Amino acid sequence: MEQTNKLPEKVKYDLKFAREIYSLENGSYIKQCMQCGMCAISCATRDIMDYSPRRLFNLIKLGKKDEVMQANTFWYCTSCCTCLVRCPRGVPLVDVMHDLKKYALDNGYGDYPQAAFYKAFWAEVAGRGKSFEGGITARYFLFRGLDEVLKYMALRDVGINMLKHRRLPLLPPKKVKDLGNLKKIIRKARELSGKEAR
Amino acid sequence: MEKKIAVYICSGCGIGDALDIDALSKVASKEYKADICKSDAFLCGKNGLELIKKDIAEEGVNTVVVAGCSSRVNTDVFNFGSDKIVERVNLREQVAWSHTGDDEDTQMLAEDYVRMSLAKLKNLNIPEPFIGENLSSTVLVIGGGFTGLTAALESARAGYKTVLVEKEAVLGGYVGKMYKQVPMKPPFTELEENSIPALIKAAEDAGVKVYTSAVIAKTAGGPGMFDVTIAQNGTDIEERVGAIVLATGAKPYEPEKLGHLGFGKYGNVITQSMFEEMVAAGKMEANKVAFIQCAGSRDQEHLPYCSAACCIESIKQALYVKEKNEEANVYVYYKDIRSNGQYEHFYKRAQQEGVIFIKGDVTDISESDGQLTIEADDHTMGTKSEADEFDLVVLANGMVPTAALGDLVEQEAEEEAAAASDEPKATVPPVVKSNLLNLEYRQGPELPALKYGFPDSHYICFPYETRRTGIYAAGVVRAPMDMLSAVEDATGAALKAIQCIESTIKGEAVHPRSGDMSFPEFNMNRCTQCKRCTEECPFGAINEDAKGNPLPNPTRCRRCGTCMGACPERIISFKNYSVPMIGNMVKAVEVPEEADEKPRILIFACENDAIPALDMAGINHIQYNPWVRIIPVRCLGSLNLVWVNDAMAKGFDGVMLLGCKHGDDYQCHFMKGSELAEIRLSKISETLNRLGLESERVRATTVNIMDYDKIPAMLDDFAAELEELGPNPMKDFQ
Repeated sequence: MEQTNKLPEKVKYDLKFAREIYSLENGSYIKQCMQCGMCAISCATRDIMDYSPRRLFNLIKLGKKDEVMQANTFWYCTSCCTCLVRCPRGVPLVDVMHDLKKYALDNGYGDYPQAAFYKAFWAEVAGRGKSFEGGITARYFLFRGLDEVLKYMALRDVGINMLKHRRLPLLPPKKVKDLGNLKKIIRKARELSGKEAR
Repeated sequence: MEKKIAVYICSGCGIGDALDIDALSKVASKEYKADICKSDAFLCGKNGLELIKKDIAEEGVNTVVVAGCSSRVNTDVFNFGSDKIVERVNLREQVAWSHTGDDEDTQMLAEDYVRMSLAKLKNLNIPEPFIGENLSSTVLVIGGGFTGLTAALESARAGYKTVLVEKEAVLGGYVGKMYKQVPMKPPFTELEENSIPALIKAAEDAGVKVYTSAVIAKTAGGPGMFDVTIAQNGTDIEERVGAIVLATGAKPYEPEKLGHLGFGKYGNVITQSMFEEMVAAGKMEANKVAFIQCAGSRDQEHLPYCSAACCIESIKQALYVKEKNEEANVYVYYKDIRSNGQYEHFYKRAQQEGVIFIKGDVTDISESDGQLTIEADDHTMGTKSEADEFDLVVLANGMVPTAALGDLVEQEAEEEAAAASDEPKATVPPVVKSNLLNLEYRQGPELPALKYGFPDSHYICFPYETRRTGIYAAGVVRAPMDMLSAVEDATGAALKAIQCIESTIKGEAVHPRSGDMSFPEFNMNRCTQCKRCTEECPFGAINEDAKGNPLPNPTRCRRCGTCMGACPERIISFKNYSVPMIGNMVKAVEVPEEADEKPRILIFACENDAIPALDMAGINHIQYNPWVRIIPVRCLGSLNLVWVNDAMAKGFDGVMLLGCKHGDDYQCHFMKGSELAEIRLSKISETLNRLGLESERVRATTVNIMDYDKIPAMLDDFAAELEELGPNPMKDFQ
């Protein structure tokens, strides 16, 4: 398969970044990747990824922080779980990809549109306990800027049709009952997320 | 013995439907004058056996011919005691199930098989086992390392007197010097304490007699009667032993040859064994260590094979570093991590501990201020890579079997070879003078070396087995392996040694013809001292006496008959297998006249693979050419050319040899039988020309047991070619 990524001429192994990733919730599983390539051949979106999951893990091992964080790999992961069920070493790739997304956002590597969508969706759900398409769209455009709005104007036919079929409510839904408890749950989950899942 | 022959024809399993049993009976009783001839619809059943046993008891029958199923089945059912000859005619797999029923040609085939069996009986006798004098059932283990100690312990625990010889002053060998050892039990993730002290104690408790600082000065005799001279501190001790386990292990590959990896150039580039000693002595201080795998192994310039244990040993050593300092940086450069079997868990453990595995070839190692920099091609990333500030680089330098250390023994028979240089010769495996066994065998002082100097004999069917009966190689001297495999090997070899001792006591052969009581008999007054038997015996069973005559060692013999096939004077025969016996079978076939347009093809098929394949074809009801007449032979190595001569003179249109694959990855159970047969065959064209025949009429083919479905096409192709050549001109002259 043609490699779509851009590799450095020569690598030096930098363990600092690797150790940082290993310390993420599921990060230590990356260590047990043996580079068999089963994830790569299983992946549905491999063709549009910069690096296959296997190569991404290897880059982490090498300590190539910029290459890893600027890669689209984890943003293109659809959580289909095919790699996860096939990995002979039991690496929970989907969870690792989630960790990498969060790490990228926390460290200011959120340039991909998917990152904005994740943030918009999360803000909406955390604030209301339910998703509201209108709100997500608005927030998404807020994150991405005006240029993106103009680009999406081309899709207005779809939007109008969805409105007609009541698929895009204009008013937000009611918040869930007892939103305070939901927020408690989220707070607790955040606390726990730092600890290893194992 | 006066033979009283009774023929029993079974009509069960479809034989009765396919053949005219009455006509078959006439062949036996009228043509061959068998004393009794009966038939039964279910011969292996209660009534059928009763019929035979009654005749044995009341009529004094001592030779029973069972015409029914293949001789490979129901052997226990048709066993009437060791004083009765039982001969089987395969009417089921090779006739009724593989040819058209109720057909003239099929009937002729069955009748020929009955004739052949009865003709064979003329010279056949009950074998009298050779029982050696003063047989010993002591097991000698050479090598007191991990494998040797395990083998000695196992055989002692099995109740056999065991003698252990170690050349060093202390037992333990390579493993004995280790700091810790790789996991030997589930979950295969934890380092284990060195097991050598416990093994030594267990062996002592089990009553193993140990000679340290001792080597084998001489090994004479054969299984059950090896006379071994052990040289210890200038004195010679004689021991008579029954079988030998060779567990002399391996030596690390010479690191001096690994200059390209910095050995000898930089002081902190060391080998695995040096690292082991360093850790055991508590002198290991390094915090950034690189392990370089396949340093010498899997390298055409050095050792072409995989040394099988270094990956696991390096993983273990990487864990030593991590055990001492969790934060230490450990890198392993590898071609492939070969952590066989359960050791995959061990590999994973090392990864979890943070050992970094880099799939890549090391291209350069340089040093500055006592710290090393490694440049490599990282194959996973497809880039060059560099890592520096290493305190220590450990080379996994692989292993060389002790059997491969030493000079090649000059082939003694060089003048003879020169004299016969126009004749093709079988490849003789080289013998390395490694000073382990010092055998008093004509074929050389040590075990013949096969691939890469390892003295194995048959990788697939008989691990442990060497080409010297009664001597079993185990552990890393036999093949590179990890410790878990070495335990299995040691135990297996100990069991094989015990099996050999027990078989020898009964006068039986060890495998593959286990239980065979026959052995070759030499009619010395016609011997021309040509030495072919002594040279060609795959097991070195035939020495030479002071006058140059062959001196057989019956307990070393595995009964393949290679000597019988080799002898130009045909002076070698077995009681139940001889040149005239097979010759009679050839001559017993009724070859129709040319005008009948019924060609005949004679097939000599090896009993180890070709006959089972033919039986498999029958079991699957695959139809094949009815012109063939099959004669089983113990090994194609026993094929004497006179049989081909006989067949041609008899009027057979073609002869085919079905043997096992030969060459580097041979399948022959007797090492080189089919190769020898082909070499002998290459000399036969002259004979054929003398008879006015085309040499294409005789051909050798290799089959294995899985080729049963290809056999019909093989036979048909040969038949078609023979048809083009036309009938054998000798046909009508008999």
